[in-house]
Amino acid sequence: MLVAVLAGIIAAVIAVCIVGVVLVLVSRYRDQNASAATDLSMLDTVGVGADEDGDIRVKSGEAAASKPSDGLSKRFGALGALAGAIFAVLGAKLWSMQVMDSSAYSSEAERNLYTTVSTPAPRGSIFDRQGRVLVTNRASQTVLAESEVADSYDTIRRLSSVLGLPVGVVRQRLADTSHGAQSQRVVASDARLRDVAFIAEHADAFPGVSVETRTMRIYPNAALGAHVLGYTGSPTEDELSKTVEGRVIDSNDILGKGGIEAFYDDVLAGEKGQRNVMVDASGNVVSVTSETAPTQGSDIYLTIDAAVQYAADKALASLIAPGGDIGSGRGVAGSVVALDARDGSIVAMASYPTFDPSNFTDGIPQDIWDLYNTEESHAPMLNRVINGQYAAASTFKAFTSMAGLEYGFATPQSAWTCTGSWDGFNTGAPQKCWDHSGHGTLDLHGGIVHSCDVVFYEIAKAFFDHGPAGTGELSNTALQEYLEKYNFGKATGVDLKNESAGRVPTPEWKAEHWRNVPSEAAWRGGDYTNMIIGQGDILVTPLQIAAGYCGIATGRIYKPHLLKEVRNAAGDVAMAFEPEVLAEPEVNQEHLEYVRDSLRGMIVEDSKMPKVFGDEGLEAAGKSGTAEHTDRADDAWFVAYAPYDDPKYVVACMIEQGKQGSSVAAPIVAKVLGAAMRADSGEEGTVGRIAGSSGHSSVLNFAADSDRED
Amino acid sequence: MPLPQIDTIGIGAPSAPRRRKRGGGHVPRPAPERKPLPLSGIVCWPFLGVAALLVGYGLLVCWSAVQGNENYSFMRQASGVAVGLVLMAIVWAFDYRKLAAAYKPLLVVTVVLILSPHLPVIGVTTMGATSWINIGMQIQPGEFAKVTVVLFASSLVARYGGKLDEVREYCKVVGLLSIPFLCIMTQPDLGTGLVYLFISATVLVMGGARAKYIGITVGLLVVAIAAVFFIDEFLKYDTGDGTMEYRLLKNYQRSRLFVFMNQGDADYSAEAYNLQQAMIAIGSGGLFGKGLGSSTQSSLGFLPEAPTDFIFCVLAEELGFAGVVVLIALYATLVAVCLRIARRCGNLFGMLTVCAIVGMWLFQILENIGMCCGLMPITGIPLPFVSYGSSFMLVNFIMLGLIGSVYSHESGLGRGMRYGSTR
Repeated sequence: MLVAVLAGIIAAVIAVCIVGVVLVLVSRYRDQNASAATDLSMLDTVGVGADEDGDIRVKSGEAAASKPSDGLSKRFGALGALAGAIFAVLGAKLWSMQVMDSSAYSSEAERNLYTTVSTPAPRGSIFDRQGRVLVTNRASQTVLAESEVADSYDTIRRLSSVLGLPVGVVRQRLADTSHGAQSQRVVASDARLRDVAFIAEHADAFPGVSVETRTMRIYPNAALGAHVLGYTGSPTEDELSKTVEGRVIDSNDILGKGGIEAFYDDVLAGEKGQRNVMVDASGNVVSVTSETAPTQGSDIYLTIDAAVQYAADKALASLIAPGGDIGSGRGVAGSVVALDARDGSIVAMASYPTFDPSNFTDGIPQDIWDLYNTEESHAPMLNRVINGQYAAASTFKAFTSMAGLEYGFATPQSAWTCTGSWDGFNTGAPQKCWDHSGHGTLDLHGGIVHSCDVVFYEIAKAFFDHGPAGTGELSNTALQEYLEKYNFGKATGVDLKNESAGRVPTPEWKAEHWRNVPSEAAWRGGDYTNMIIGQGDILVTPLQIAAGYCGIATGRIYKPHLLKEVRNAAGDVAMAFEPEVLAEPEVNQEHLEYVRDSLRGMIVEDSKMPKVFGDEGLEAAGKSGTAEHTDRADDAWFVAYAPYDDPKYVVACMIEQGKQGSSVAAPIVAKVLGAAMRADSGEEGTVGRIAGSSGHSSVLNFAADSDRED
Repeated sequence: MPLPQIDTIGIGAPSAPRRRKRGGGHVPRPAPERKPLPLSGIVCWPFLGVAALLVGYGLLVCWSAVQGNENYSFMRQASGVAVGLVLMAIVWAFDYRKLAAAYKPLLVVTVVLILSPHLPVIGVTTMGATSWINIGMQIQPGEFAKVTVVLFASSLVARYGGKLDEVREYCKVVGLLSIPFLCIMTQPDLGTGLVYLFISATVLVMGGARAKYIGITVGLLVVAIAAVFFIDEFLKYDTGDGTMEYRLLKNYQRSRLFVFMNQGDADYSAEAYNLQQAMIAIGSGGLFGKGLGSSTQSSLGFLPEAPTDFIFCVLAEELGFAGVVVLIALYATLVAVCLRIARRCGNLFGMLTVCAIVGMWLFQILENIGMCCGLMPITGIPLPFVSYGSSFMLVNFIMLGLIGSVYSHESGLGRGMRYGSTR
């Protein structure tokens, strides 16, 4: 209204001014006429004013160059032509753009305008077999900034003071292009709500800064089962370039980076929502044209029992690093796995040193990454249950004695004499039994119980003597083929990525491995004697040993697995894992009973074992092992199953540089086995927090020890 | 015909041939004759009509372009038009012939205006150009100097009565005409400088300079431009962060130039983005446009500087090719009407003034529209009567007033006040 009034006044003033000017001109016109009339004397000297009356030119007799433009008409023509050319060129260009190519430009304008934005879907949670939460999400306020903010010192300073971050850190995060050069930089994740509210209220002071609510992984028990669960992070360049079927990965996505998070990433990830939006030039959403809500990822229930897992994690941590740093206890690293022998379910899978996945939810901090990459941290990210490859040591004797019985090189009636050293191949360099004083005369049962190496050297010699180098009845891979029945040398196919396969040495493998050192490449009797006691070139993972002992305990090896079932957001079971038989070795039942009896004997005939297992109320059978090293302390193995007469669980434990299997690894096996049995009987058990590894060790390697037991 | 005396140009003794004629050949009497005012002798209706249509059309487009943009106010533009109308009327009434011989004072005023931003207190430097002064409000004196440049160039060349064929005189004139350009390059403001050059060139051509000289001058200019690029290659220096800075032609000027030349190549610079968005805006307008106020390119901010330098894109997007044709037709009509006024003008100074103004508009139209559709390099030259900006609007109204003054004070078109001949 006011504007209209003002406009009216202004219009009136203008009108008055113009009328005034016109009046001035009119009056001057009259004056001129009047004065001209008085000044007739000038008439003749005047060049005639250009006009239509030719009579004057005639009268004056002057040349009719009356107008200055007359001599310049060509130039006028040129100016006119120039003007015409300019308008014609512009018109032609605009015609081609607006009429001929209009549709191309229109589609570009559309492309400017409409964008599809994906809204992240919350990841599914992970539970244990009883529904206890292992990983879930919480809302996290994330402060994001456009890359241009890096140029504005004022904004950086304000962000720094509001978020309580040093200016240098803000600057560094703004410079971080790991999510793509055009994408927004994460200045702070998990910001405090009041900081976020302040930024939102003072948007003018924070140009280019926005706040988003994202979900963040939380781990209620910190490092509990960290290697099983894995962690999440932003996609790498590689992952971005890979197109997974039915799924588009963009740089803001969160991907599983190991463990279950990686293996079942597609299940957990859910489906991103899509918003088709109209945006302005700054990328601000002007309106939403259509929207599909994100679908939360499905939840995963694991076969892991949190109480058993807790027992395993805690036992390892308190054995290896009771004081927090590696070296303060026994061994430098270790792993333990508990398998349900009846269906292959993994109820616990622990590896030490371990890590706290919550440190990685926002990308692995450089300092932790550096720390975990030092030698003294002993590789906390490594899941030793599936990726630790070790000499199987005497735990292997259960399988090799089965092979000896199968081929008749050992019978329940056989007897051997151990003097502490053996030179069956007359090499002049005798091989030692671990007990240098000798075991005297024993049968196979005694050989297993006391883990006498000489007994097995004899069996190995029999394999060699019947092989191509001897009578030729057997191929030189007969023993290896038997071992492969128990799935050695092959990955078990557990639902984790990058499982190691281990190694069963063959003459071919040896020739290939030593191709550059021909003197070492030949297959010798010593290769048998090493392999038969689980030393030399044989490599196994703790999971393979546990799975193999399932084969001994029940006669059947189920494929180890972690997934129990997948439930969708509504809570319905979308997928349940079916047990799958991995191997069912065809063996003589009597032989199997003989070996089982010997393994039971290992527990009951020993001086300390009955107490170790008895304390947990277990009637177990098992086998110890000590993998010998010359340059550092020996590795300790123990594997056991219980109850011995109706096996339910198999637990294998391996402690790097733990020295003695029966005194170091066996108590851990007993604890985990005990926890598994209690859980099996319906007991809930205790679950608590497990701390990530400090990344430090007071001892890198323990010294090699001559005082061995086996 | 001898050269006329400089001081008599345009202010020759008043004559009364018309009166005599109107008197029907009778002996003129001391006009007791009170004829009704022949308004058509003062106001050229076609001229005023086309100007009014242009200004109205421009205001309409400007109104649409400033919608939703709080940095611009339509009221400000409208009040600029209002003040402009008053100024135009005043200039119209002013007898331009009083300035016919005043080329020296005009030159002084021009130079003072152009150099005024260098004054310590009132001068303002933004974006590397010292082009503004702050006297309560911020104005660009180089813009107003266009008026004095037009008058200065016209009066300088008019002294030669339409024949400039002596080498020494020609060089002198060219030298004097280049002074405003050299002055504005100290700011520096290449866009306005080019407008000055085009005004001077128009005046030289229309003022009868020998074609050969003009050809040689153009040739020398081309050589000089090439030399600037060549010498710059030796003067460039490393700024320390790895980029090269040129001394003679600024980096942004180079990039604007090269963007225009390298259309279609992948280029993610701001200049390329501007040009691309401008072309998208124009092209997506189609035949009849998206409707007034319905542009997406400008209202959503894709188009930079939409109400000022790139306002043509708003027009083209909203009103389509039809709207563009209307604008071009209006411009063409204005040019035609002005050229008619110039042609019929009995006074060389007046004729040159009108031609200079026409030349200036032509150049601005060509450059502005050409830049929007990728035919010309990007410079900050606004579109006459349409672009947002009150100084620019005022200057154009003064130009309109000048042409009106020429028409009403020395014209064979109507029955305006006639002082007689120039020569």
